[in-house]
Amino acid sequence: MLDPVILAQILWTGIATSAPYVLMTVGFALTLKVTGLWNFAHAGLMAIAFYTMYFVLDFCDLPVVAALPAALIVTGAASLAIEIFGLQVLRDRGSGNLTFFIFTLILSELIIYVITLLFGTEPETLFKSILSPVTIVANIAVSDWDELAVAVAASGLVLLYAFLTWSREGQFLNAVADNARLAELYGISAKRAWRVVSIISAVFIVASMYLIGTHGGVVPNSPLELIITAVIGTLLGGIGRVFAAAGAAVFLGLLQSFSILVIDSRWQNLLLYGVLFITILMFPRGVRLPPVRLLWAAR
Amino acid sequence: MLYTTRRTILGAATMAGLSLPSIIRAQDKESIKIGSALPLTGSQAGYGKDFDTSMRMGAADVNAAGGVNGRKVEIVALDTQAEPQLGINAANRFIGVEKMPMFYVSWSAVVKAVAPIANREKVLAINNGANSPEIATLGDYVYTTFPLADVDITKLARYVYTTLGKRRAAVLYINNDTGIDAAKLYRDTFTQAGGTIVTFEAYDPKATEFTGMLLKTRAANPDTVHIHGLTADTPQVIAQMRQLGMQQRVTSYSAAYNPKILEQLGPAAEGLIVTSLAPGVNDNKNVQKLLDEWKAAQNRVPNGLPYDQYQYDMVWLTKALYEYLDKKSLPATGDTLKEALLTQKEFDLPMTGKMIIDGHRVNKPVYLLTVEKGAFVPLATLT
Repeated sequence: MLDPVILAQILWTGIATSAPYVLMTVGFALTLKVTGLWNFAHAGLMAIAFYTMYFVLDFCDLPVVAALPAALIVTGAASLAIEIFGLQVLRDRGSGNLTFFIFTLILSELIIYVITLLFGTEPETLFKSILSPVTIVANIAVSDWDELAVAVAASGLVLLYAFLTWSREGQFLNAVADNARLAELYGISAKRAWRVVSIISAVFIVASMYLIGTHGGVVPNSPLELIITAVIGTLLGGIGRVFAAAGAAVFLGLLQSFSILVIDSRWQNLLLYGVLFITILMFPRGVRLPPVRLLWAAR
Repeated sequence: MLYTTRRTILGAATMAGLSLPSIIRAQDKESIKIGSALPLTGSQAGYGKDFDTSMRMGAADVNAAGGVNGRKVEIVALDTQAEPQLGINAANRFIGVEKMPMFYVSWSAVVKAVAPIANREKVLAINNGANSPEIATLGDYVYTTFPLADVDITKLARYVYTTLGKRRAAVLYINNDTGIDAAKLYRDTFTQAGGTIVTFEAYDPKATEFTGMLLKTRAANPDTVHIHGLTADTPQVIAQMRQLGMQQRVTSYSAAYNPKILEQLGPAAEGLIVTSLAPGVNDNKNVQKLLDEWKAAQNRVPNGLPYDQYQYDMVWLTKALYEYLDKKSLPATGDTLKEALLTQKEFDLPMTGKMIIDGHRVNKPVYLLTVEKGAFVPLATLT
């Protein structure tokens, strides 16, 4: 098992399979950073994104070029509606954090319940076949899906970084994330920032569910399980550190993949909960690596 | 205004007295309720709902054939989501509310969960779809009409060793009641036959990524792989196996005898061997009738046809049990129905053929099918 080819294969597949989790974690962590809310309605949005694509592809028999924009529009609209008609109403009432938590969680349950009534509970995939062509690169099996997943996640991160760093709207998001009231004093609309972030997170959710739905079966309840990874990644990366959360999602994927070398595969999912407990107890503000300059100084 | 006189009271009483026997007879003709605990929602609903449909088709055919000595049968299906706790709720409802002396139940974990209730309440619980070998040991009121894994898995493991000439097997199984016991059976039978188990790995029921487990398996260099999972995970395991360049012949059990697997895997399903515990269209002409009914009603074939055949037949089994009680003038209780099951012992059922109850087990021929050119075709019949 310690053959370098096997280790390289686990590394590559671990990175590829963590790609959808990276995308959903980024959407979740960015929302938390800007709005200050643990928005569990993302689970419901994930279900909406998947079943919109499934409906367009399977029921309407339309191609992917129609399914993806449809999912972006529907999920984006749903996300915006939740922000305007749900979260903003609660903010205006001065509701506490617990109310937001309960509201978003119940909303997800409601969405999933309705989707269950509409589509049933059988596992569904976006395409009839879940097989993806494979190329052997240096004895490592690299599937087209792997390449797509890594490419989508990497470009999503790069685009988000560019948006947050160089665009005016992105800088407004950072300002609202730092201090919404102060930002408003400088003429930046917090409401607008929250709405923008709801749309951005919807884009990441759609990309994530497209990758998940083309790799294996999804049932309406799946998002409630998937979102656990986003929560752990966000906690592990540290609240407010979106790209560290993305790194944490990759770490979780690799941890699960490499754990097969030392534990039975049936315990792999348990690892996630183990990490969640340890993070909450020991690293409530996330794991912070020393800055690179300090590492240099230490040398 | 209506005046009540002694004469009208007397007349009404006479009429009531005359009509009493017909009221009693009407009560006699009350329908027989058949309790069925199935996953009608949840990840296993794809099977559960089809089982329910097949059972209802069986009920319609029994009723069309005159019912049980003139009494209609009626299916009362409750949802378990294949979850033990919901199974317990269903059993309590069948016994406590519906006052049923007998009910049917599927899925190993659910059968195990309801067994103590059936035994305590002396109500007959009949497994008609689960295959954990442990079901044979669950108590005096728990019986099976569905062959347990020790029937098909042992015969399959011997076939793989003897006929296919495989010597190094990997066993990958879902870590729940469906997978654990059956995987152990395969391992023990294959080893006893002279083969070697090179990998014996369980995976989490919620897992979607199997690369690590498969690489471990690839490193062990098996010449055959047995996968004992459910419909949601088995295609994913096979797909990822093929993508990692593992071309070994895969065997599975009746859960993999599912048209959806062919769709999801395409050419990667070629050579897959599955078991079926019920005769196919070529072995029993009634099966085509069931398929025609399905096509007329649902415009498709059912998921897990052999299981559906058992579900359909359970209504006919119920008819046979109640007819026995009628013949002996016995009331319907868990004990009398158990007596009817064990005394009659042999049942000729329309879809699954002859069924011989052997204590807490049932023995049936095993039909092997393999995937050839994108379709399941008969491979062998193991008696």
